[in-house]
Amino acid sequence: MIKIMFQFIRSLLFVFVLSIGSLSFAEKIQLALNWKAEPEFGGFYTALIEGYYREQGLEVEILEGGSGTPTIQMLASKKISYAIVSADEIILNRDRSDKNKIKALFSVFQKSPYALITAEQRGFKTLEELWKAPGVLAVQSGLPYFQFLTAKYGKPSAKVVPYTGGVTGLKNTPHFTQQGFMSIEPVAAEKIGVKPQSFLIADAGFDPYLVVLATHEDSLQKNPEVTEKLIKAVRKGWESYLKNPKKTNQHMAGINKSMDLATFEKGSSLQKDLIASPTLGEMSVEKWDRLSSQLLELKLIKKTLPGSQFLHAK
Amino acid sequence: MPKSLFKKFITSPALGFLIFILVFWQILGFLNVLNESLIPAPLDVLASVQQEPLDFFKSFQESFLNSLAGFTLSLVFGTAVAFLFSLSSFLKRALLPWAVFFQTVPIIAIAPLLVIYFDYGSTTVIAASFIVSLFPILANTLAGLARIPVAQEQLFDLYQASPWQKLLKLKLPHSLPTVFAGLRVAAGLSIVGTVAGEFVAGGGLGSIIDTGRTQQRVDRVFAALILLAFMGWIFIAFVNLAGFFLNKKRPYGIQ
Repeated sequence: MIKIMFQFIRSLLFVFVLSIGSLSFAEKIQLALNWKAEPEFGGFYTALIEGYYREQGLEVEILEGGSGTPTIQMLASKKISYAIVSADEIILNRDRSDKNKIKALFSVFQKSPYALITAEQRGFKTLEELWKAPGVLAVQSGLPYFQFLTAKYGKPSAKVVPYTGGVTGLKNTPHFTQQGFMSIEPVAAEKIGVKPQSFLIADAGFDPYLVVLATHEDSLQKNPEVTEKLIKAVRKGWESYLKNPKKTNQHMAGINKSMDLATFEKGSSLQKDLIASPTLGEMSVEKWDRLSSQLLELKLIKKTLPGSQFLHAK
Repeated sequence: MPKSLFKKFITSPALGFLIFILVFWQILGFLNVLNESLIPAPLDVLASVQQEPLDFFKSFQESFLNSLAGFTLSLVFGTAVAFLFSLSSFLKRALLPWAVFFQTVPIIAIAPLLVIYFDYGSTTVIAASFIVSLFPILANTLAGLARIPVAQEQLFDLYQASPWQKLLKLKLPHSLPTVFAGLRVAAGLSIVGTVAGEFVAGGGLGSIIDTGRTQQRVDRVFAALILLAFMGWIFIAFVNLAGFFLNKKRPYGIQ
């Protein structure tokens, strides 16, 4: 009996030692997206499927988000170490509490792809014209750019309703305008037979960095190398995705069935100009400063928050 | 009477518990243990209401009226259908199994469809409120109507009472406790449905919550949630009050 027990303990020990031996030294991290797999996250997926994270000794798990996934608050509560947020979210977050020290690491978009989209046949020439036209305007309530446009052009003449996703409103509701990404929704609209027209909010002067990889200052201090390695892998992923997005698009189309491969292809080529120039991933203090003072003017934040504190200095 | 009611309220354990929780929570806030942007302390929540009291008042009013409309529709429709089922077992067997749809339907999933059917605005909100609050009323009224003492039913049969007489004079009075239990459940659900509807159709406290989430104003989200709880409390108080008066009246005051 004792012999059997010994044998059992020995085999347990063996399994234990084996499992320690097989533990790789890869650092496991999670990256939370704030939406489903779409072209604006392409480079993050490229780094995954091409093994760029692994090259850096990282084991990255990408967590897809959904409608209302509060990635910024997940970062603030330290539930997640790395997440995709937007510059305006980071500034609002810091304003709400000094404990929320979120740092931006890498911005996918150099120019914001936020757009208002309507049917081309309505014949608008400018965003201002569209803003002042009657009809229905579907935007997520509380968006900073809505406030910005209201301050700039006055209250919209259209009836403002919540945006619930998709593009079917463009087809079904007369005189319909909706929010979206310049690279996504117009393509989807065309697929359902609506010729779309998009106006970039950035051209009106509100241009936050968008699809920003960010982390909490605490995890940055605790383990600075991991962050540097992650940035390196992400940069390589994006460089590769911009050159040749095909394989990644196929991968993402397999995950996100609501968009077909053609839509991915078109989206990834449409967003290119907003991403690559002037420099991939980099952010300027001035642009953060400008955004911060705009948010202050709009009374969305209570105090002046200099832009430099949001940037991760290398 | 009012004085003794007041005394009852002041000494009630519920009020004591509320005060305990609020004080404890506020102390945590003062000690700076909580991240105020993620879990705001009670005084922060109060301050957010004081900043824009009119905003909250109007939204409360809007959500209240929509919930009331949804609840009333459920009450009328649910009771009517239950009566019908009680009178015709054929109809009941044909339709009741499918009524479970109303119990399981995730209102969040169909709310965007309701907007397509009913357009933006209060019609959609009322429809959402109605859909989620219907089932408890229907199910409880039906269960209540079936809850009759055998001896009394035999007596009614003996005197050759019509199905209609049986329903009104026997089944209904006996069903009231069960019906009122259903009404209390439905009252809360009608508010849940309203908020789900407002997320997609706009307006009311649902809209305040939605905006609060986007702008990371968790204090406003909490304020709206507390107001919704208060609204539920008013609804249930009214249901209880109605039950109290109905109970005094024969033949409903059987129990």
